[in-house]
Amino acid sequence: MAKRLLTYENAVRWAPLLVLLALMLLFTAINPAFLTERNLARIAIAAAPALMVAVGVTFIIIMGSIDLSMEGSISLTAVLFCFAFVQFGGTLAAGAWLAVPLILLAGAGIGLVNGLVHVRLRIPSFMASLAIGFVCTGAAILVTGGDIVKIDDDVFRALLTWRILGFPLMVYVAALGVVVAWVILSHTRFGRHLYAVGGGEELAHASGVNVGRVRLVGFVLAGLFYAVAAILQVAKLGQAESVTGANFMFLSITSTVVGGVALWGGIGGAWNTLVGVLIVFVINNGMVVIGLPDYVQNGMLGVLVIIAVILSTDRRSISFVK
Amino acid sequence: MTFQRLKSHLPWITLLVLVAVVGAVDPTFLRPVNLLGLAGDIVPLFIMALGLTFAIYIGGIDLSAQSMANMITVMASLYLSSLGLWVAPLCIAVGFLLGTVSGYFTTRQFVPSFISTLAVGGVCFSMAQWLSGNRALNMDATQRDALFGWMIGRTGIIPNELFIAVGLLAICLFIERRTTLGRALKAVGAGELAAAASGLNVGRFKILAFAISGALAAVAGLLFSVKLSGGAPTIANGFLLPAIVAVLVGGTPLTGGVGGVLNTAIGTLIVAVIRSSMLYFGIEATQQQMVFGLVLIVAIALTIDRSKLRLVK
Repeated sequence: MAKRLLTYENAVRWAPLLVLLALMLLFTAINPAFLTERNLARIAIAAAPALMVAVGVTFIIIMGSIDLSMEGSISLTAVLFCFAFVQFGGTLAAGAWLAVPLILLAGAGIGLVNGLVHVRLRIPSFMASLAIGFVCTGAAILVTGGDIVKIDDDVFRALLTWRILGFPLMVYVAALGVVVAWVILSHTRFGRHLYAVGGGEELAHASGVNVGRVRLVGFVLAGLFYAVAAILQVAKLGQAESVTGANFMFLSITSTVVGGVALWGGIGGAWNTLVGVLIVFVINNGMVVIGLPDYVQNGMLGVLVIIAVILSTDRRSISFVK
Repeated sequence: MTFQRLKSHLPWITLLVLVAVVGAVDPTFLRPVNLLGLAGDIVPLFIMALGLTFAIYIGGIDLSAQSMANMITVMASLYLSSLGLWVAPLCIAVGFLLGTVSGYFTTRQFVPSFISTLAVGGVCFSMAQWLSGNRALNMDATQRDALFGWMIGRTGIIPNELFIAVGLLAICLFIERRTTLGRALKAVGAGELAAAASGLNVGRFKILAFAISGALAAVAGLLFSVKLSGGAPTIANGFLLPAIVAVLVGGTPLTGGVGGVLNTAIGTLIVAVIRSSMLYFGIEATQQQMVFGLVLIVAIALTIDRSKLRLVK
C-alpha cells in the first residue's frame, strides 16, 4: 500500500466516529433495548435542538472565537417566537407562520449585536457574548414577567408528532440544518474565509480577507441557528419561558469540541459537530438506560470537554493559555 | 489631566457620583444605618468577587465561582450537624482543591481557563445535585447560631459580615502587595512570557491564583448558606454576573496586570449602589440582569488594555 492508513491525522479525524460506534456497541451489549427504533428516536428528539445550537457555535469555534450567549439568545428568541405565534393567530394556517421568519431575523439580529460588540469594541468574544447572553436572559425575563407562554397548535406541533420512518419531522429539520452548515463551511467562499481566520488571522488579513466582516457574518449565522434551535425547542416542549435556553451553553460547546472541532480554530466541520452531539446524547441516554441518575450529566460533560480539549491540543504550537 | 491618568481614579469617582446622585434623589439613602446595611448585604458577593480578582488579575477567568458557591451551600448545610465548626475548613479546602484542578488543567494541559472552570463548575453542579438529592436543605437553627452566629447579626450598627469582609480584604491585600506570590501574579498579569523568561515558575503561581479564587468562592458560599440557614444546588445563581461586573468596574481589566483587590472592594460597592438605586428609580428586579449585562460591556470596553491583545479572538 502506498498510503499508510494508520497515520496520526487519520486517527484524529476518525476517532470521534469510532468512539460513537464503540459507545453504541457498549450500551447495546449492556442493554439490548438501547438499539431499538423507539430509543433511537428518543435520542434524536432530545438531540435535535442541541444539534442546531452546536452547529451554530461551530461557525464561531472554527474561526477561533467562542460564543457563550446561546442560553440567553435561545430563551429570548423562544419566548418572542411564542408571543409572535399567538399574536399572528395562534395556528400556522391562520398566518402564525409569519413568526418563523420574524424569529430567524431576531436571532440573526442578536448575533449581529454580539459580533458588533466583539469586533467593533474589540472585546474578547467569550466576554462579549457572555454579557450579551446575560442581557438576553434579562430581556426574556422582562417580556414574560416570569410567566410561561404556551403554544397550542397541532399543525406546528407536527414537528414533534408527525413521524416519517419512525423519526419526527424536527429531526429532519435538524438534519437539513447540518447539511446547510456543511455546504456553507465546505463549499462557499465564506466558509473558506472562516477557516482562514481560524487557522491564522494575520495571514488571512494579509491575504485580503476582510476579517472583521467574516467574524460579523459568523456571529449572525450562529444567531440564526440558535433561533432554529429555539423554534425546535418550543415545538418539543409546546411552551417557552425565560429558562428555556438553560444548559445549552455547556452542552453545545462540549459536543462541538468532543466531535473534533478544535477550540483553537481552523479545524473540524459540521459532520464533527453532528458526531459530537450524538456522542454526548448517546452517553446521556445510555446512562439512563443503564440506570444511572441524570444529575451525573453535568459532571460527565465537564470531564468530556476537558479530555477533548487536551486531546485536540497541539502542545508544540502554543506557549501558554489564559 | 489626560484620560489615561484619570482612568485609574475613575472607579472611586464613579462610586462617589453614584452615591451623591442617589442621595440627592432620596436623602434617607445616605443615613449611615442604610449605607452599612447595604454594604453588609453584599458581602457574600464581595468575597466571591475578591476571589475572581485573582483569576482575572492574571488574565484568566473563573466561571466556576457560582457553581462552587452553590455546592458549598449544600455541603455546609449537610455536614454542619456531624462536623460542627470543622465544616468551615472542609468547605474552604474543597474550594481550594477544585480551584487547583481548574488551574492545573489551564496551565499544565493548556485548556483555556473559561473552559476548564466551566467544566469544574459542571462537576460542582453534579456534586451539589447528588449531595442534596436535588432539593433544598435546611440547617439546624440552634446549631447554626451557636457555631456561626457571629458571622451574621450586628455589632452596634455595623453588620458583622463587614468585619469578615474587611478581614479577608486585608489578607488579600497583604498577599497582593507584600508577598512574593503577589509580585509574581502581577508579573504574570503584566506579561506572562516575560515573567516566564525571567525564571518565574509561572505555572505554579497561576495554579495558586485559581486555587485562591476557588477557596474564596467557597467562603462566599459558606457565608451565604449561614445567612440563609440552608443550601440548594441553584441557590447562589445570579452571583456570577454581578461578581464579574464588580471586578471589572473596580478597574481590574480582563487583560489583567493592573487593578487588584482594593479595586474590587470599590467595584462591589458600585454594584451595591447600582442595585439599590435601581429600586429607588423604580427599575424592577427583573430588569437588573439586563442593566448589569450592559454595565459589564461598558466596563470591559473602558478598561481593557488593547495593546496586550494583538488579536481579539
